[in-house]
Amino acid sequence: MHTMSTADETGSGIRLFQRQVAGVGAPVRAFSMRGDLFRGFFRAIIPSALIAVSPVFRSPISALLIAALCCIGLSAATSARAADKVLHVLAWPGYADPDVVKAFEARYNAKVEVTLVDSDEALWSQMHGKDAGQFDVLAANTAEIHRYTQANLLAPLDLASLPNTRRQLPRFRALGSIEGLTSAGKVYAIPFTYSSMGLIYDRKQVPVAPHSMLELWNPRYRGKVLDFNSAQHNFSFTALALGYPDPFQLDRKQMRTVARKLVELRRNLLTYYTLPEEATAYFIEHKAALMFGNYGTQQVELLRRAGADVGYVIPDEGALAWLDCWSMTRAASDRPLALAWINYMLEPDVSALLTRRQGLANTLSEPAETSPNAHIVWIGPVENIQQREALWTRIESGDRSERF
Amino acid sequence: MLRRGLTFKLSVLLACIGVLASGATGYYAYHANRTMLVNEAERSLLTSTELLGQRIAFSIDDTASDALVLATMPSSANVAETDDGVGANAPRERLAQVYSSFMLHHPEYLQVRLIARRHHGLELIRFDRDSDGLVRVDGEDLQEKGQFPYVFETLAFAPGRIYTSPIVVNHEYGTHAAQGKPTLRIGTPVADANGTVVGVVVIDIDLAIMLRRLQSDLPSDYQVYLANEWGDFLVHPDPSKTFGFDRGRRVLMQDSFPVTKPLFAQTQGEVLANGLMRPRQAAGQVLAFVRRRFGDSEGNRFIVLGLAKPLEDVLAGANQLGTRIIRMVLVFSALSVLLAILSARAVTKPLHLLAQAATHLFAEHAMNPLPLKRTDEIGVLARCFDHLRREIRAQMDALHSKQSELAHLATHDVLTGLPNRMLFMQKLESALEAAKQQGAGLAVLFVDLDRFKPINDQFGHSVGDKVLAAVAGRLKGVLCADDVVARLGGDEFIVLIEGQRAADVTTEIAARIMDALNETLVIDGHGMTVGASIGISEFPHDSGNAEELLLNADAAMYAAKSGGRCAYLRYRDLLDEQAGTAAKNGPAPARTDENAAEDPAEAQ
Repeated sequence: MHTMSTADETGSGIRLFQRQVAGVGAPVRAFSMRGDLFRGFFRAIIPSALIAVSPVFRSPISALLIAALCCIGLSAATSARAADKVLHVLAWPGYADPDVVKAFEARYNAKVEVTLVDSDEALWSQMHGKDAGQFDVLAANTAEIHRYTQANLLAPLDLASLPNTRRQLPRFRALGSIEGLTSAGKVYAIPFTYSSMGLIYDRKQVPVAPHSMLELWNPRYRGKVLDFNSAQHNFSFTALALGYPDPFQLDRKQMRTVARKLVELRRNLLTYYTLPEEATAYFIEHKAALMFGNYGTQQVELLRRAGADVGYVIPDEGALAWLDCWSMTRAASDRPLALAWINYMLEPDVSALLTRRQGLANTLSEPAETSPNAHIVWIGPVENIQQREALWTRIESGDRSERF
Repeated sequence: MLRRGLTFKLSVLLACIGVLASGATGYYAYHANRTMLVNEAERSLLTSTELLGQRIAFSIDDTASDALVLATMPSSANVAETDDGVGANAPRERLAQVYSSFMLHHPEYLQVRLIARRHHGLELIRFDRDSDGLVRVDGEDLQEKGQFPYVFETLAFAPGRIYTSPIVVNHEYGTHAAQGKPTLRIGTPVADANGTVVGVVVIDIDLAIMLRRLQSDLPSDYQVYLANEWGDFLVHPDPSKTFGFDRGRRVLMQDSFPVTKPLFAQTQGEVLANGLMRPRQAAGQVLAFVRRRFGDSEGNRFIVLGLAKPLEDVLAGANQLGTRIIRMVLVFSALSVLLAILSARAVTKPLHLLAQAATHLFAEHAMNPLPLKRTDEIGVLARCFDHLRREIRAQMDALHSKQSELAHLATHDVLTGLPNRMLFMQKLESALEAAKQQGAGLAVLFVDLDRFKPINDQFGHSVGDKVLAAVAGRLKGVLCADDVVARLGGDEFIVLIEGQRAADVTTEIAARIMDALNETLVIDGHGMTVGASIGISEFPHDSGNAEELLLNADAAMYAAKSGGRCAYLRYRDLLDEQAGTAAKNGPAPARTDENAAEDPAEAQ
């Protein structure tokens, strides 16, 4: 029944926090049936049906009767069509807020069902769970896109159907130069947003900005550190902190060392988080000092809105960075609608809203503050996801370091 | 036409009213019954929901006391302080016995653990459960749990306080049967003698088993809903709607049941809805939702419990009643149709009688059954009508009597009461007709008083009138009832004799008339004798014509009178005389005298 392998222990904390900072974070909500929309369409179609049918019949009564019959038939057909026109979106918090979704639904006369994921593992299991095959579009980072493309789960995109890509910054239009987006000359994903995964620190408890990720392990902050509950990034940034040349390709020995290092990190933690709102709640409630910012600037924005005095740094050894892209699945039933969604996500309004509301950079405009010297490591495909995940579950559940 | 029309219309009207009334009553009864049943079901659902909520609270309290029992055992603190989970430790093993017994006695407990503050929240005693029963997890398999809220939050509590976790799905690795199960964790701090918290006791409860136990005595058609304070379904008849947050797609109670919104806004503690009155809020169901505090930690945590019962089941009784009501309505409708016809008839019957009475205004039979004795408007109408009828009738009677009086006056002589000339002529005509048809004869006797004029002159008109009346009386006295006597005018009378008697006794009658009139009359003390001359004409001998018969009789009378007083003469004899000798004139008057001599005796 529960295919996700993420830690959810703190699930309630997230929602508690959502209530506290109502309107700030992305409300994680499922979308109810949009009956109004359907009714509107129904109303719109009836008069035209009447007009179209009436002249054929001489007797007004028979015309009316036939029209009524046609209306019944039409309404049945309409309802069937409206029900068919559903777009299943797999997205991250903040990517498909209800107002954004509503505008799309109104414009394309379709229903959108958003499923939110809070980790790459969750995304993968959604695509492989019992509901697999029902999703039409998904948002994933470049490494994951590469993985999905390899697994033959994505459909190539026709750029002609995505006119808004022309609004993107040149570096995001050079799709071939971004690893993982193209395969055999076909484009499988369109960049949407990106962020580094730096260190977030409480300026009061950490007066001097940390220079290394290793600060997370500092016993000074024991019980005041927050970490993201996800296998890949934890292994990657720990490898980066340990100075390994390729944090995405670890050998056995390195893997073991990293695992033990992660157990050590766990012992220094308050807890793990999965959602940005949840992280914010813990950070404030338990007066955390340091946090691995998986959502990067999105989290910083949230924390500042919640009143926290936080700083954000890219450590000297470099920070991982993700570039989330929109893709269409091979299983997408209504491809024009799926493409319309991706194109819609690149509307200036929608992309600007992402930046304004979530603090995440968009691909249409340069971010306001850029630190050109920052050492950014774009995440890439890892050597063995299964192994990382298997290890991670044990680490996260509390296995002692002797067991690795 | 009137009766049928009005009766029919009235019947239809009354029947319609009757059917409508019984139908409306039936519908109202049915509707009221449904409403009552639904309200009743709502109340009982609410009670059940509250009870279920209480049971959950009690159940959590029970678990909390178990946790407290374990946490307050002195060896718990001792073990938490000193043990590292590895190697033999007699106090730990003794304590583990106690832990295992709690696991054994509570099938809903998925895990019972003693977790130390030391060693990063290392589990020291841990019992899991799998399909075969209890699993003791020990040694290397024990895990460090310090990073979980149920540990670090509980460790921050004062001894004796209870930590209640949110209800979530357990995703911890290596937890045997607990993995993937909806779980509620109850924790409490373990404190040493100084009151320092050195560890925690955590009991994981299987939500499914707990609820199944708690709702075991609920009727099978009840459906249970449970949501956390944000509305996420934790229990739902459709399992795919539970723990939506765990799968990235939340399913909220306030979206599925908008009626529960006030519960989450905390403006109401309980809500009821039913598909009968608010079909959009509770389609086909009767619903009761109750908000309950959850956990004793600070903040405002709660759960919302809901019970649903299919409306169909609630209304099963009403449907049964409904069919009965329909039957009853049909019966009463039939009865009302019958009654309508009867009462319409009852109302229209007197009208019909009145109408008939009006139609046959003077037929006595139509008058008898009039409902005169009724005291209602119909009675008044009947009496008025009857009065009217009598009035008309009286006036008509008066008119008729006047009319017949006039007719009598027109055909009779006022003085003598005898038919006048006009009536006589009519009678004569019809007698002639009859006689012609039957081949019979008839005779007309023209009687002229001989000495009336001198009497009149001598005694005056009043005596003359009395004489005439007396003469009329005498004439009637000597005639049969079938004979007709009329006064032609003045002192002239005429007699018609029909049938066989005309041939047989005409002369005899003439003689008797002579005698009767020769008798002395005493009027006002004056004796007088009027005497009469009579001329007789006969049919068919003398004429076939009434006028001629009269003229002939007149002529014969005249001849008789001129021949001498007091004689009668037949017209045929007159003709004979005129044809023969004048000597023959003698015998006839002589006969008359004889007859006249006998008259006084007869007249007496």
